Order: sequence, then structure tokens, then C-alpha cells
Amino acid sequence: MATVDLTQFHKTFFEESLEGLDAMEAALLALDSGSTDHELVHTIFRAAHSIKGGAATFGFADVAAFTHVAESLLEEVRSERRGVDAELIDLLLRSVDCLRAMLARSSSGQPAADADSEALRGELLRLASGEAVAAPAAAAPGVASATGWAIRFVALPHLLQTGNDPLRLFRELEQLGRLEVRRAFVLDSAPARLAELDPSQCHLGWELRLHGAVARGDVDAVFDWLDGDCELVIESLPGETSATAADPVAMAAPATAPVPAAAPPPACETATVSAASGEGSSIRVDIDKVDALINMMGELVITQSMLSDIGENFRPSQLERLREGLLQLERTTRELQESVMRIRMLPIGSVFNRFPRLVRDLERKLGKQVRLELHGEHTELDKTVLEKIGDPLVHLVRNAIDHGLELPAQRKAAGKPETGTLRLNAYHEGGNIVVQISDDGAGLNRAAIMAKAQQRGLLGAGEEPSDAEVAELIFQPGFSTAAQATDLSGRGVGMDVVRRNVRDLGGSVGVKSEVGKGSVFTIALPLTLAIIDGLVTAVGEERYIVPLTSIVESLRLGAEAVRRIAGGGEVFHFRGEYLPLMRLHRAFGCADAVTEIERGIVVVIEDAGRRVGLLVDDLLGQQQAVIKSLEKHYRRVQGVSGATILSDGSVALIVDVGGVVRLGLRAKAA
Amino acid sequence: MAGKRAAKQYQDERPAAPDGAAAVVLPADCRLAAQAALQAELVAALERGADVALDASAVERVDTAALQLLVLLRRELGSRDGALAWRGASAAFNEAAGLLGLARILELPAAGPA
Amino acid sequence: MAKILAVDDSVSMRGMVAFTLRGAGHEVAEAENGQLALDMARGSAFDLVLADVNMPVMDGIAMVRELRAMDAYKGVPILMLTTESHTEKKMEGKAAGATGWLVKPFDPEQLLATVKRVLG
Repeated sequence: MATVDLTQFHKTFFEESLEGLDAMEAALLALDSGSTDHELVHTIFRAAHSIKGGAATFGFADVAAFTHVAESLLEEVRSERRGVDAELIDLLLRSVDCLRAMLARSSSGQPAADADSEALRGELLRLASGEAVAAPAAAAPGVASATGWAIRFVALPHLLQTGNDPLRLFRELEQLGRLEVRRAFVLDSAPARLAELDPSQCHLGWELRLHGAVARGDVDAVFDWLDGDCELVIESLPGETSATAADPVAMAAPATAPVPAAAPPPACETATVSAASGEGSSIRVDIDKVDALINMMGELVITQSMLSDIGENFRPSQLERLREGLLQLERTTRELQESVMRIRMLPIGSVFNRFPRLVRDLERKLGKQVRLELHGEHTELDKTVLEKIGDPLVHLVRNAIDHGLELPAQRKAAGKPETGTLRLNAYHEGGNIVVQISDDGAGLNRAAIMAKAQQRGLLGAGEEPSDAEVAELIFQPGFSTAAQATDLSGRGVGMDVVRRNVRDLGGSVGVKSEVGKGSVFTIALPLTLAIIDGLVTAVGEERYIVPLTSIVESLRLGAEAVRRIAGGGEVFHFRGEYLPLMRLHRAFGCADAVTEIERGIVVVIEDAGRRVGLLVDDLLGQQQAVIKSLEKHYRRVQGVSGATILSDGSVALIVDVGGVVRLGLRAKAA
Repeated sequence: MAGKRAAKQYQDERPAAPDGAAAVVLPADCRLAAQAALQAELVAALERGADVALDASAVERVDTAALQLLVLLRRELGSRDGALAWRGASAAFNEAAGLLGLARILELPAAGPA
Repeated sequence: MAKILAVDDSVSMRGMVAFTLRGAGHEVAEAENGQLALDMARGSAFDLVLADVNMPVMDGIAMVRELRAMDAYKGVPILMLTTESHTEKKMEGKAAGATGWLVKPFDPEQLLATVKRVLG
């Protein structure tokens, strides 16, 4: 029999275990806030239970051992032998964290247990009562073999209704040795008339002989599921030796309980590594989305057959139908594209769900009172964006509680409710997904920010920046507002990192703040990373695509509008400010491009409030571009975020707006 | 019972076998789920004649419950001096009857040393 | 080969069970809780049902009880896949009409051996 490679299920196991832990955490938090819903306890138990079962099955013995202890404790809660208190919830929440870490280690092929997990397991063990650690059933009794067994087996009426057919049992016995049916008999309980028989009731009994050197345990194992379903007597055949003599068997413990989680071969773990790193990640798709796709495919097939009909013997009179068909093809293709893109879209709720826990922990740590409001959890984001937006959001939430919201006493003194409000909101706006983190705290401290900026050399001594400019300062590299870095915000991760992470996702982040009223951080993200709406531009023989969302304006400049500045850079005047001009043909080294300013076109692009003009030969039109990774197919190129294939089959490069703006500003500064 | 009604129909549709026995053909799947109908047929056969002829040559799957039905049929026939005749039995049927030690009680011709 | 219904809320466990059984030539349908399993059982005749005990919506024990109330499933083997080493759970399952059980963790070989044992 071919062996089954269990490693193929590891990824699913990790995914669903993490989901289970999320559910467990949410339920624990609900319990913590006073809910008495018993279903919560069941949810928590079920999650622990599933993880234990899976971990043991797939060879993660450490995870199984840890979860086993937690489950035992939960079993006491479920059976109401133990009440729920804050201490228990704390312990279980820490167990959730610990299990997440253990699963992470397991999935990267490391040993799951470490000193922390062992210490926590010890705590759980101490809290759980002793019986919880009971080992599975003992080993089979009567290992010694006899040369045969006499078996008297009488069915109880309901035997057949348990699905235990004597035929099956006898077949099993036949596997052990030579089976002889000495006598089969009809019991007195059987009705005299066939018409009165309930066929699902069994009224038969047998006297059997099983000849051969068969272990008693093996005989017992055949009947191990039949406790209470039959009368059974197993005796060693007269004159033949046996360790266990005649005993009427009521069949207590199953004779051969399946072997408990034996240590899995280490090969499993190395296999995990390759599975975890080698394969792409998977995605669970709502069945509705798949159905929509299938519908669309149906339409596509219909259109295709209609068009091929026309194509086979085309007559000019069919021109109108051909146009119609092409139009339909276009529409269906667009819908299909949208549906396919939707497959990658997942609700942001999965990210939002971590915040109740985070907020709870921060409240305790900082002595603040926070009410968390979540809105728009169903707003969908591209899976890749979703995976990467978590950290920036966590940072902003930490920041809001740490620096934004005041201590209860301060709030009271300021005439505000003692409990501050932190609101996370996600919604669609235009072609973007907007995520807002707003608090009703103290707002940005203008004086502190300016002082820090001056100290860091980000701001001249006499400068009086606008509020918006002050707000921008906190996103500057190396800027940290906390007078004293707490262990929450002071982890060397500043707002500049948040901005960089968001920008890497093709998004932007900004802040608006009002002293005494609070702050609103707004993150705008593209709907998807896989497709952009772009402006196709020509530069010599090359085609470059500029993402439409970043374009401010395209204009023709006279040669006199451009000024050369020290260091060789060029700037031009645009809406009251001087912007650096980048000649794309120079930046990317394109031959035969337009070099005279007045013959080309300047495309003004913006990234996070900073603008740069790009000189191109011409604008060729708008097009949706499916982004192909250049790194994957070629190598990373500065100023280029990817490539796409144009409708004529040629390749165009996509301008990395953030990168190009940085390049341009550097040139201006030089 | 639906089974009884079904049995009445069979009574009309099925003539007695040439040797005078009421004939019943056992279905391919003779397991518990199919037995309400089978039982009705057997009971109808019992009511029709002194002897019953069974054809188990099409039986592919059979369980203890089915064999128990036949054992009780045989017992009731015996109590009124009726005979059980076999028109045929598949290998699967013979194997099951033999394994349960019921081949002799059922007077299966092909039954070996059971 | 046999038609088997695998019921488990854990995708990985269900996947493992289904994959293993399909590899052995069986036809396998999957359900993620007892309620869905019942719906499927009504529409199709399975030779064997393998069910987890702890599941949302309808647990394995309630499902066994419901299945046994259906004529078509009176004698069909139903195995509980359970991590419960407690005898009470097994007894509860048995009382509901389960044929037997397979204690998690089990490996594919143990699963196939047990299925072979039940299907004869």
C-alpha cells in the first residue's frame, strides 16, 4: 500500500489552527468582558480540541502535548467543574499566544517547544487537576498466545443497529486463525412468525472455535467496539495454555487502543520546511465567488461559439452581429477579470480581529481606558495587501493608545469621558480602500514635535511650519515623539516605517489632528496589487506605464519654464512650487527619445504629497495593466515596479512612482 | 405498513413456481436497508404456499440480518412441514451463510462442510 | 470500492482522511458538520460514515443518533473519529448508535486498516 504523504496537509493544518486560535482569542475576550454565553466555552474548547487532534495526527507532538493540557483545563470549564475568572482567561490568552508561536516554529521546521512554552505548560498543568493528564488506555492484556480459543458470542437485539455485523467480526477472526462455527442458534427472543420480526433486531448466537496461536489481545480487539452489544465468553481451549484463563468478558478497555502519538520521524519536520517555503500560499475562496466565475465562463463560451459561427462563413451583412459579439466578449472579459480579481480579495475583518486583544493588553499596561470601535470589517482587500497591512495598523493603534489617548484622570480634567474611543474604519473610496484609525485623545503636540524636529535637524530654528507640515514631520525617518520611549512604541519602529510599508503596498498614509480633540490617521490602499490603471507613455522606442492614481497633471512646457540648478538637476514651476524634472529617457537610458522640453510632455506625479515631473515623448492612452514581477522574470530595476504586456504583445515597464519621486528629489537636493 | 401493500401486489404478479413452491428472488443488495421489502415478500410467499423457493443467485451483498430473516423463514416453514428449495445462490451468499454457520440450517445445497 | 462520508470540521483532518481513502480507491464525500452530513446522507447511500465528535452546528453524537433514525442507515457502520480518550465519550457515541471509533491521532495506515476491518 502506498504511504500517504501527510506533509501535504500541514499548511491547511497551520492555517485552520491559526483561525481556531483567533476564534479562541475572540471568545476569551468576550468572556473577559462579562459574557456568560456557554457557546463561547464550547468554541474555545473546540478550537483547542481540533488543534490537539491535528497536531498529533500530523506529527507535531509538542503542540499536541501543550494543547492537551489546555484542553484538559477547558474540559473542566466546559463540564462546569471550574469557573471562569480573570486569571484563567489571562492564562489561556497567553496560551493562545504561545500556540501561535509554536505553530510558527513548527511551520518553519523548528522544534515547537521552547523554555517559555514549557513554563506555560507547567502553569496550565498546575491549574488543571491531576486526572486531566490521564494517559490513554492501557496496553492489551494477555499477551501470551494460546493454541486456540472457545468463543461464545450471543448478540443483544440492538447489535445490528450499531453497524457491527457478526459477519464482519467473523471475517476478522478468520484473519487470526482457523475459525470453526460449532453451533449457530436462534435465541428464544426471536418471534415465532417471520411477519413479526423486526429485521434490525438480532436474535442469533454462536459457539465458535478459533484455532491457532492467537494472542488473547487480538481476539479481544475484534470485539472491542461491542461492549454492551453482546454477551461474550472467551476461554482458552481445554488442554491449551493461556495467560488469561476463562473470564466472562464484559469488555472493559479496548484491547488495542491505537498507539498514542509516537514521536514522528524527524523527516516530517524537514518536509515542512520545504512545504512552507517552497509552495505559494493558498487562499480560501467563498463558493459564491467561484460560482460567479463559472457563470462568466459559461457566457464566455457562448460568445466564443457565436463568434466562431460568424467567422466560419462570414458575410458582410453580419458585420453588426460581429460588432455585437465583440462587445459582448469585451463585457464578459471585463466581468471575468473583476471576478478573478475578487478571488484575491479578503475581508479586512481578519486583521481587525487582532485589535480587541491588543487594546485590552495596552489598557492594562498603560492604565488607560479604551473603547474600541470597529467599522467596515467586511471591506475586502487584496490578500497580499491584507497580509502586509497588519503591522502598520498595529503600530498606529499602539501609537494612538500610547501617545494619543490620555490617562483617565487627564481626560476627566479636560472635561472628556474617562474612557477614550479608538475607532478603526475601513471603506471604499474611488479606486482605493481607505483605513482610518481615529482617536479622541490629545491630538498631535505641535510644540513637542517641532522641538524634536529641530533637535533632529529636520526643521530650521526660525521656521514656522503649517499644522499640516508639522504632521508630516512625524513621518520623517528617525523621528520619534515619545519623550521617553515606552516599550510599546519605542521599538525602533517609527512612523517612517509605517509610511514605507504602506507605500510598498502602493498606498499612502497621512494624519490630521486637532489639539485636544484627537487624531485621524488615514491609510489609502489600492484595491489590488495585481492590476493597475495606467497611462501608457512613449519614451523613444520604449513604452512606460505610469499608474493613473499618481498622476496630477500632464502638460506641455516651454523650454524657458525649466531651470537648471546647481548640481545638474532641473526644476520647473508648477502651481506655486518648483518641482524636479526627470527626463525618463535619461533615467532609464532610452535611445532616440525626445530631448527638447517643448516637444515632449511632462507628467506630474505625486507620491505622499511630494511631486516630480517626468519628461516623456508622448502619451499613448490609458490601459489597465496586469502587473508582472520583473524581479521574478529578470531582476530588480530601480524606478520600475514591474512589467506588463501591451495589447500589441510588446512589453512595457511600469514606473515605480515612489522610487522615481525619491530619485527626483535626491537629484533636486544634490 | 408499505411492505404489506407491496406484498399483495407481488401475490398477484408472481405465479407459483412449477413445482408448487412460492418463489422469491433475493435482490443484489440484500442488506438491512432493503429488508422491509424482502421481509414482506417472504411473508407473502409463506402465506401463498406450503413450500418456498428462493433464488439467491443475484445476491452481491448480504448481511447477518438478511440471513436471520431466512433462518426464521426456514424455521416457520419447518413448523408447518413446508420445504425450502433453492433455485440458486451466488458465491457471496454462500460465503456469508457458511461463515455464519447457517448454511446447514438453511439447507443450502452448495454448502460445503459447514 | 465503498462510498464513504467523511465528517470533520477540521479541513486538514478531513483532507487527510479523504485523501487516504481516495488513494485506496474509495469514493469519498466530505461534510464539515453533522447537519451537512445528514443532508448528504439523505441524498446518497453511503457504505460507511466517519465522523468527528466535536463539531459546530451539529456534533458527531447527535448526528449518529439522527442517522440511526433513518431506515437507510440502520445498519451502516459509523465510526467516530475522536481524540477523547475518556470512555464516557465513547460510550455516549455507542449509545447513540456508533459502530466503533478510531482514536486520534491515527495515521493513514491505521485508518485504512480500520476501514478495511469495518467494510470487511
